Amino acid sequence: MINSVIRYGFVSILLIMLQVLFFNNIQFSGYINPYVYIMIILLLPTELPQWVVLVAAFITGLIIDFFSGSPGMHASATVMAAFARPYILGLISPRDGYETGSSLSMANYGIKWFLIYSTSVVFLHHLVLFYLEVFRFDDFFRTFLRVLLSSLFTLAFIFLLEYFRKGKSRTRI
Amino acid sequence: MRNLLNFIARYNNLIVFLILEGIAFSLLATGNSYHNSRLIKGIRGITYGIERKGSDIRKYLQLNEINRALASENSYLKNNIERLIRQSSIESGEIADTMYQQQYNYIVAEVVNNSVNKQKNFITIDKGLRHGITTDMGVVTNQGIAGVIVGTSENYSVAMSLLNIDLKISARLKSNGYFGSLNWDGTDYRQVVLNEIPQHVNVHTGDTVETTGFSAMFPEGVMIGTVAEVGQTGSDFYMVKVQLTEDFRRLRFVNVVGNLIKTERLQLEEEYQ
Repeated sequence: MINSVIRYGFVSILLIMLQVLFFNNIQFSGYINPYVYIMIILLLPTELPQWVVLVAAFITGLIIDFFSGSPGMHASATVMAAFARPYILGLISPRDGYETGSSLSMANYGIKWFLIYSTSVVFLHHLVLFYLEVFRFDDFFRTFLRVLLSSLFTLAFIFLLEYFRKGKSRTRI
Repeated sequence: MRNLLNFIARYNNLIVFLILEGIAFSLLATGNSYHNSRLIKGIRGITYGIERKGSDIRKYLQLNEINRALASENSYLKNNIERLIRQSSIESGEIADTMYQQQYNYIVAEVVNNSVNKQKNFITIDKGLRHGITTDMGVVTNQGIAGVIVGTSENYSVAMSLLNIDLKISARLKSNGYFGSLNWDGTDYRQVVLNEIPQHVNVHTGDTVETTGFSAMFPEGVMIGTVAEVGQTGSDFYMVKVQLTEDFRRLRFVNVVGNLIKTERLQLEEEYQ
């Protein structure tokens, strides 16, 4: 238990550092801005009470906000994604439900399940985030293209990380 | 009372969600004008330290380029001095002293944080109130304009980048003097759009676009870029795409422009407007 909390904290800090020091600085094109820190919300265990997930999402978003100088933007998008998470998990739950004590990983529930799960959460998060950033609906499709391309890159990175995690362990986070 | 408690117990997640979103949105609404968010101000101090480290690394990697830019600016300034010395030696004694009153002063600053990939980009520089920087000062580089100061603290300032969809700047075509408003459309970080140029004006690709000096933030005639494409809008005006001379991705050293007689001008303008 304690072990997994420490591991989880370590992964979270790593993801935040990666986001702030690396992904916020690669200025690839105006269309691709991956926000990989959302993986923190993806990996939270299912047995956590929902309000803990929401508060964790809020704090994560706020930390990213402080580094990118956009108060409230990442926080509201991340909280939105965290709010939708249990509904998405409910929709795509495997036949015999989620085992308690096992992490929500590709290794445990299969690549197809993980693909649907991560795509919906990441897409929702990016959708809210990018429209909040522009805060207007003209150029609707251009913003939408940014959402799509950025989600794609975020997902690619999350899958890369998942792949390496898969090699290491099956049940631990 | 019991009903209320039942209600809260039943919808506690929704309530937590709404409270958190409420906080986030109120931050979003109040904090984005940058300097009135106290919370941000306190924590910015910590994040600046980390950003500073990253900026130091990038600066080292770009030393070569910075040296070259400085050398070329040096020779440009030397040429200017030569020219001015000649002029003043001919005209000395004829022109009253007040004509030489300095109007603009420049404060050199280093960029510690910058982005080009958002819709609303800001530039953070390492000079602040202590160095005489106030809001509404212009930020220029030796290749063009960079932005406008919107917030200052003791040691740092934040400028709204030219690559911010909220910033509008008055600009003109150098060849014929027609002016319009310049802003970024949020797509390409190398191009901005010059609006309000009437259709009867001859605009060619390659024409120079420069500042007008109408806004009292920038001196007159600072180069912004060259015309890349002239587009029709359907109304009576062209939509001119301007290729920026400055590469915002490589912004390192900037000059903050102070207008020494700005208040005099603004007071006069206020009386008649």
